[in-house]
Amino acid sequence: MDVELRGITKRFGPIVANAEIDLDIRAGEVLGLLGENGAGKSTLMNVLCGLYTPDEGNIIIDGKPVTFDGPGAAIAAGIGMVHQHFMLVPVFTVAENAILGIEPTKQVDYLDLAAARQQVNEIGDRYGLQVDPDARIEDLPVGTQQRVEIIKVLVRSADVLILDEPTAVLTPQEVEEFFGIVRSLRDAGKAIVFITHKLDEILEISDRITVLRGGRVTGYGDPKTLTEQRLAEMMVGRPVRFDVDKAPYNPGDLLLEVRDLTVLRANDEIAADHVSLEVRSGEIVGIAGVQGNGQSALIEAITGLHRPVDGTIIFDGQDITNVSVRARHAMGMAHIPEDRQRTGIIGDFTVAENMALNSYYDERYAKGMSIVWPAVATHAADYVADFDVRTPSVHAKASQLSGGNQQKLVVARELSRDTKLLIAAQPTRGLDVGSVEYIHGRVVAARDEGDGVLIMSSELDEILALSDRILVMFKGRIVAEFDASKQPVDRNAVGLAMAGSAPRAAA
Amino acid sequence: MSAKASNDNLTQNLLQRAAPSRAEFEDLVIVPIFAVIVALAVGALVMLATAVDLPTIGRSYIALLQGSVGSLNALSETLTAAAPLVLAGLGLALGFRAGLFNIGAEGQIVIGGLAAVIVGFSFAGLPWFVHLPLALIAGALAGALYASIAGWLRAATGAHEVISTIMLNLISYRILDYVLRQPFIQREGRADPISRSVLDSAELPQLLAWIDPNLRVHAGILVVIAAVVVVHWILFRTKIGFEFRASGKNLDAARYAGMRASFTIVAAMASAGALAGLAGANQVLGVLDRASPGFSAGIGFDAISVALLGRSHPVGVLFAGLLFGALKTGGRQMQVDAGVSVDLIGIIQALIIVFIAAPLLVRAIFPWGFRKPQTEPNE
Amino acid sequence: MSHTMQYLKGVAIAATFLIGSAVTASAFTACQVTDTGGIDDNSFNQTAWKGIQDAQEQLGIESRFLESQAETDFMPNINSLLGGQCDLIITVGFLLGDATQEAAQANPDQYFSIVDFVYDPPIENVAGQVFATDEAAFLAGYLAAGMTKTGIIGTFGGINIPPVTIFMDGFVRGADYYNAQKDASVTVLGWDVEGREGLFTNNFESLDDGRAFAQNLYDEGADIVLPVAGPVGLGSAALADELGIDALKIIGVDADLHLTDPEKGHVYLTSILKRMDSTVFQVIEATMNDMFEGGVIVGTLENSGVDLAPFHDMEELVPDDLKAEIKTIRQGIIDGSISVSG
Repeated sequence: MDVELRGITKRFGPIVANAEIDLDIRAGEVLGLLGENGAGKSTLMNVLCGLYTPDEGNIIIDGKPVTFDGPGAAIAAGIGMVHQHFMLVPVFTVAENAILGIEPTKQVDYLDLAAARQQVNEIGDRYGLQVDPDARIEDLPVGTQQRVEIIKVLVRSADVLILDEPTAVLTPQEVEEFFGIVRSLRDAGKAIVFITHKLDEILEISDRITVLRGGRVTGYGDPKTLTEQRLAEMMVGRPVRFDVDKAPYNPGDLLLEVRDLTVLRANDEIAADHVSLEVRSGEIVGIAGVQGNGQSALIEAITGLHRPVDGTIIFDGQDITNVSVRARHAMGMAHIPEDRQRTGIIGDFTVAENMALNSYYDERYAKGMSIVWPAVATHAADYVADFDVRTPSVHAKASQLSGGNQQKLVVARELSRDTKLLIAAQPTRGLDVGSVEYIHGRVVAARDEGDGVLIMSSELDEILALSDRILVMFKGRIVAEFDASKQPVDRNAVGLAMAGSAPRAAA
Repeated sequence: MSAKASNDNLTQNLLQRAAPSRAEFEDLVIVPIFAVIVALAVGALVMLATAVDLPTIGRSYIALLQGSVGSLNALSETLTAAAPLVLAGLGLALGFRAGLFNIGAEGQIVIGGLAAVIVGFSFAGLPWFVHLPLALIAGALAGALYASIAGWLRAATGAHEVISTIMLNLISYRILDYVLRQPFIQREGRADPISRSVLDSAELPQLLAWIDPNLRVHAGILVVIAAVVVVHWILFRTKIGFEFRASGKNLDAARYAGMRASFTIVAAMASAGALAGLAGANQVLGVLDRASPGFSAGIGFDAISVALLGRSHPVGVLFAGLLFGALKTGGRQMQVDAGVSVDLIGIIQALIIVFIAAPLLVRAIFPWGFRKPQTEPNE
Repeated sequence: MSHTMQYLKGVAIAATFLIGSAVTASAFTACQVTDTGGIDDNSFNQTAWKGIQDAQEQLGIESRFLESQAETDFMPNINSLLGGQCDLIITVGFLLGDATQEAAQANPDQYFSIVDFVYDPPIENVAGQVFATDEAAFLAGYLAAGMTKTGIIGTFGGINIPPVTIFMDGFVRGADYYNAQKDASVTVLGWDVEGREGLFTNNFESLDDGRAFAQNLYDEGADIVLPVAGPVGLGSAALADELGIDALKIIGVDADLHLTDPEKGHVYLTSILKRMDSTVFQVIEATMNDMFEGGVIVGTLENSGVDLAPFHDMEELVPDDLKAEIKTIRQGIIDGSISVSG
């Protein structure tokens, strides 16, 4: 099935989200759709899925113009979307999820689960998507859950599959497997739209590439001839630097020392298991690992959000194992939290309020019991200007900022104080290339000024680009350490260690 | 222009405050106004459905208006009824801001009023400028202590404040029954639970008695105004207010920012309790001059509606409290003039809350009152 | 917003026309402020209201009433009836004593009458209506003692205030008198005449309490219960209805509950009548004729201010001997040969 989008324009009030976009989706092909956050990718796909009606333009399926009056019509026409955030019922089985909403029934509304199981197995065999139909979703790893999402779409006989940022949650190895599935779907004659902002992936998997910027198509391309550099330029609108300039590695005094730290999850499972590590001033230590291997718990323990059950944390010569969050702040610890929406900012608060979120009590902002709001606002305006946070005003709500600018707000807040140690968890997750570049620059600048930096990321590229030393966490333990200060570290070796299959590599 | 100058320029722009958006205005002003109108209209339908004829319905709404704001006495009664609602509503609003759904204002009113009345009839001979503040403080303090029980339970054990405050309400009734029967508190010559009378020196004086002794509005209304100002200051100008609001909006972010969650919970509950306790003191020192079972009169529950209607904003709570006070007072006139049961006022109050909670419904009924709905881009 | 204003204006104008003709001046208006429990409580407030309604029918007066939903309503309710619209304000209930006194002293030109409260010293513009309810309750106690099969009868009250406990006093003493006369040993649960302590729901509203208190007494063996708590007793009646009248009978108070509570009418052995309707009527009539007098009106067996209601459905169940004895005692109370105050 071929789908053509012709001259699609979609406006939201004064904002033009899509302007005269043409797009060709062909059976047996993977179309890579590339663009920064806010470029109009999601709007365009929501038009294709029938969620939005375009203000202008046509959707043409196999030569015939169609209009969708809702998502149901698009599904019926054979268009299926796999969302970035899974829409599965955790306590249901794979088969139950696959048929949710289109349940096959016998007499008296009797649910025909046997038929559902059979469907799941058939699809699995045909496209290499094997999943146990009776497994419960909550027991499955993320990569497998994603397969279930794809099965769900295929059960509805989709011929066009839209995959929205599908690799964001996968390990490098899982990504490889996933690409295999995409290829087999393509070879079976499905049309695939692959949405991402990761340049290497789009070059690897796509047959054709379309780049969006500011709601318009800014380039078409052939992955065989395009380079990452060129793609990034089309996407951002200016040349982008991927490598980060760092001053020579020159570590100073020991700043943070973690000894045998053991942290439990809420359900008393061990999250971090006797972890020891050191961070010196003037170095960046990266913690690599697939999500859910205890890195988050480790960071929370170091920053004081979570009490460890065992072990000690020494910061700047003092034992801070049981010291409050505020005291750690006061000692010069800065923390860019893993989830900016949940922890990093308060969406309903203004930019200025967020800028003072963890230092409202210090002499810059407070006088006696009161907070001096004009002082907060002027400081916030300075930091906003300094850190290039794009906001109309410091009195705008933080929730109105884009993800990248929210993250810059967090970075600005944390680095605008006099800090010694920066702890950054997933500092660039979900951000566009431009913001990533900026934040990386700031992190390295902090290191060059003599701060110690502990960075945790599930994006291996980020770890490799920034770190002087790399630690790999697997199942709560540090299973490998790499020295990246002299020559680049072998990407594959780190990837294998992340998957738990590496011998303990010597530094 | 130098880089420095352009930076200053940018900073100046950043400090500009955008005019309140149309959407905010709609949400804060238009929706409540329309909610009241729709509630009154539905109230009329309810009357129709219960076989009240049209002239009587018209008469009852005229009476509602006259009885609430139509005369000096009506205004005085409206203010008298609004005072405890605003005080307790402010406390609840403060709790809501801090993310605590405190249902316990009723119990805190009972305990606060009880403490105020005990101080109020003891200490004969004190001058009023000592005795009255002492009685008010006793009420606030007792309310605060009582509420912090729920706060402490939440902070220390995780017991949800909705459950614990409901239970504390029930316990407070029994405490009241018990205490009012103690020999030093029970009025001489009475076998039923009723306290001695508050001494003149601890009474909140009537403000307009020089015009007409039936004008009951009393100095409690000054306490209310002060409380609105103080709560506004605490919420929006102080460190602890910032902590309350941050904890209420996003507890994870508040913890991340180093705010002490347990302290915040207990402090917010205690402040809420202090205000509810003041409401209780206001009733016994300004209106009743004594305490008896049921003197709290459900004010603590009406105050929940007041706080919700006022969007947990001190000024909003003030207006919402005045509206509820007016409805209560006007409702009397409705019964007197038109013979319509005062229960109808309860229905109208409930409807207002329903429509406030369902702004989409209000928008659907009054489409011309709102900007055309816009789908926001979701990227 | 202009739309809204126009709309409101329209409504206001329409309403003004609608009511224009409805308000007519009346010769005499009697107004009532109820206690909590409501005007339709089948008992206390309703009986007093009946007096006003009777006056309306027979004397052609106008009437208004205001229900109190909580104690805090007493003052404002009286307050909103001030201002010359009422010739007489009747407040119903002991608990309105303070509020009525305050209003009466602030408004010496306004006539008040209060049910169940006596001011000492009397207030010039307030006529108190009180009742020797213990005289009728004495008969009820004697009757219950004569009727019980378990040898245990019970009572409970609303709030421990004189107009409530006077029922309980009479009831207990009537049963004691039976024991003394017949050398029997019928026990009365729920009230200690000497200690002034007993069972109280502490409200005049909760039907659930009425049910629960009657259940407790029933569990202790009582087969006849006297609830003295206005509408609370309706909850006890509902329990008796479920258990059957062989297991539990109820004695009503204030009005003849067989008539005012027809659905459960069959569970009432009798009712202790407190004829507030007749005293209210008297006060209205006197006030109309410029004969208002501050002070006290006392309802007794002798002047029919209190009485025992007919047995209705239970007429057959009550032995003729017992009926005759009650008749004799009634006469004895009226002529003073039997004292009901112990």
